[in-house]
Amino acid sequence: MLLKKIDIWYLSSFFISIIVAVPIITVFLSFFETTGNYSSILKDTFLYEYIFNSIILLFGVLLLTFIIGVGCAYIVSFYKFPGVNFFKWALILSFAVPAYIYAYSLTAFFENFGTAFSILKNLFGEGDYNSSIPKFDGMLGAIISISFSLFGYVYVLTRASFHYQSQNLIELGKNLGFSKKKSFFKIILPSARPAIVAGLSLVAMETLSDFGSVSFFGISTLTTGIYNAWISFDDLTLANRLSFFLLIFIFGLFILENFSRRKAQYHSLSKGGFKSKSVITLTGYKSLLAFSFCFFVFFISFLFPVLQMLYWTIIFPKHFIDLKITELFLNTILLVLLSSIVLILFAFISNYGNRVSKSKFLEALTTFSISGYAIPGIILAVAFITFISWFDNNIVRYFGINTIKSIFIGSILGLVLVYFVRFYSLASNGIKSGYLKINYSIDESSYLLGYSKFKTFTDVHIPYLKNSIFLIGILIAIEIIKELPITLIMRPFNFETFATTAYVFASQDLLEAAAAPSLLLIIIASIFILTTSRYILKD
Amino acid sequence: MKKITIISLFFALISTLTLASEVNIFSARHYDSDIQLYEKFTAKTGIKVNVVSGKAKALEKRIIEEGADCIADLYITADAGRLGAAQAKGMLQGGLSSAAIKAAVPKNFRTSQWVGIAKRARIVYFAPERVTGAELAGLTYESLANPKWKGRLVIRKSNNIYNQSLVASLVKNNGKKAAASWAKGVVSNMARTPKGNDRAQIMAVAAGEADIAVANTYYLALMLSGKKGAEQEEAAKKVKPFFPNQDDRGTHMNISGAGLLKHAPNKANAVSLVEFLLSSEAQEHIVNNTFEYPMIQGVSPHPLVVAMGLDFKQDLKTKVASYGAKQADALEVMLEAGWK
Repeated sequence: MLLKKIDIWYLSSFFISIIVAVPIITVFLSFFETTGNYSSILKDTFLYEYIFNSIILLFGVLLLTFIIGVGCAYIVSFYKFPGVNFFKWALILSFAVPAYIYAYSLTAFFENFGTAFSILKNLFGEGDYNSSIPKFDGMLGAIISISFSLFGYVYVLTRASFHYQSQNLIELGKNLGFSKKKSFFKIILPSARPAIVAGLSLVAMETLSDFGSVSFFGISTLTTGIYNAWISFDDLTLANRLSFFLLIFIFGLFILENFSRRKAQYHSLSKGGFKSKSVITLTGYKSLLAFSFCFFVFFISFLFPVLQMLYWTIIFPKHFIDLKITELFLNTILLVLLSSIVLILFAFISNYGNRVSKSKFLEALTTFSISGYAIPGIILAVAFITFISWFDNNIVRYFGINTIKSIFIGSILGLVLVYFVRFYSLASNGIKSGYLKINYSIDESSYLLGYSKFKTFTDVHIPYLKNSIFLIGILIAIEIIKELPITLIMRPFNFETFATTAYVFASQDLLEAAAAPSLLLIIIASIFILTTSRYILKD
Repeated sequence: MKKITIISLFFALISTLTLASEVNIFSARHYDSDIQLYEKFTAKTGIKVNVVSGKAKALEKRIIEEGADCIADLYITADAGRLGAAQAKGMLQGGLSSAAIKAAVPKNFRTSQWVGIAKRARIVYFAPERVTGAELAGLTYESLANPKWKGRLVIRKSNNIYNQSLVASLVKNNGKKAAASWAKGVVSNMARTPKGNDRAQIMAVAAGEADIAVANTYYLALMLSGKKGAEQEEAAKKVKPFFPNQDDRGTHMNISGAGLLKHAPNKANAVSLVEFLLSSEAQEHIVNNTFEYPMIQGVSPHPLVVAMGLDFKQDLKTKVASYGAKQADALEVMLEAGWK
């Protein structure tokens, strides 16, 4: 019985999950080490500040993404007004702008003598405008930057849920004499709750793991705290204490997200009597109001950072001319291709292994291993380096092999491996949800026709999942184009991407030089988003 | 087949990293112009320069974890405090003590493990409309704690390395106790909770948010150069530099520099790169792009830096190596004072 279970698919699935879980286990194990020379006052003063800041940031971002995401989704789903079909896809372009680039734009525009000052001066002549220009920096800046780059998750998921919302329910509300407002709060919103919660929990995880924009604005959150404690002070005790709090946050979110997903499945089962909902055509000021809201969000989330970066690229053309665009492009594409191939291939094998073995243990292991997504990239990269050097010093040398460090640290291989851990959940969940749509009876028919497991995999499953594969490939591409901390730490010599180039300039107070690579990054990511928008919006 | 292609691609990429004559740099200080400088070096010596640039702390972590397998030769970063800390962590080795280096760099700006490549001063900027000459007369770093500056001073956060080094020099010169009460005075004089970079402090004075700011010298020149746009060029003109402590030890000096990494596989090449960076050709290139002061004699800074004044007394008494040694104390006194 046991032997029968342990086949090649089971084993490969098992090993993939273990590899993905290694950095997470490393972070966990470091809990039990104690060192600590960071003086005690730091711990007492900062622990609470980190937690407090993380909570404020989290709630600020959740509130803002909820309002923007659900608001936009509601308007474009239930009403017809000029531009509505444009906004449906234009609003997801915000995915192309990483929070750190948003932060650069925000600062550039609103700082003393910034772009806003120039505009006012050109319009009204010389004047002391600095004191009347609002300053979006610090915590407020971080909340805005992160919210406008992440609200897309809430928007896309909520919109999908609105799309499939049964018209019957809404009509029931009408029959009961509910006003529009009442039916929104009593029927539409509650029935979309699972999707909203799922979107918000994705936002929450990304917010907690954000490093680029919070470090740019100089806010001490749990993530920057762990980074500082671990990297600058070599204080594992404090790093562990902070990681512990971060993990509590994240596991709470995980539970919430899983819980809401279970509910979502329950909801979407009610296919009987599905009537596509009727859309209300808006006229007059109401139509203008709907248009203005969507345009405002589109402008602030996408056009604003693009225009700021474009403006800088135009007034400081030297930085654009000096940029090695072809090289940066090829490097970025190399990473995208390698990572997508590796991720999709292994996610397939693992999911297929889970499917054929039907093992509960394997399921649980996979679920645990994909929590790598929730660990901030910067922590993941450092954990990986720590693990490799431990493995090298303690195990590899024992076998008389010289060293494996240079193969894994500062190499494309290592970089792709850490990407693999970071984005495995994206690939795995995508393939999994595709698989859920293939009935088991198809597998059985295939076996009856004399197909082997391997042949079933290549000739039946892969053609079935072609669309999912394409979509996942694009999603991975968008993430990797924007990815910053892992690339920064793990990359080989003389290897730059658009993201690292932008960051390196920005970190040396050369924001205007960061504009050109930022702009190109946004353009490339936008192209990827547009090719995939019909898939994102359909599901 | 696909897999084989991928694997061979990996090895092709790895193997390109092990060319014969080269020098590998981890750089936390990376300007576009550096590339031209390295190209000049390669043209002259045939030694290829490979670079990974990034945040100082992350690079340091990678150097430590890679240990003996780290193929980087030089660690280039701004601030003696960072280089000193790297030395204290055992990341560096001796060897930057060739006759050429010793002749070029004054003693207080180097150890055998790291040397300064360019200098900067951390000075006070003031708004001439709101700060009188009498108020400024005899200004020292110490007197920034004077209550007369209450609500008028802007300075960066305590996690900033330039501030840590400045405070470390105060700990070194006046003792930890005095530095602690000084930090409390400075915090109570702040016009706002610290935020932004050095340039943002200068602009806060230009915009009237504060009367005096503490920032490094090259930022003002950078703004005056127009490289930051017309508005900032105008803003920079509203602010004047002041060099503190002229009547005693002199103005606080710092460096950007290079450290020789402990396991450097190309030690000799690393030393010749450092020697090249200290040549007058390279120094001229550096000072004209970064607006820092040259490390060697006989090279003039950028004209905008010259215009800020060159005849000030530099603190040559306090060794920059002490910034690293007193860094922990500095951070402690700042945090205890509630310096955000």
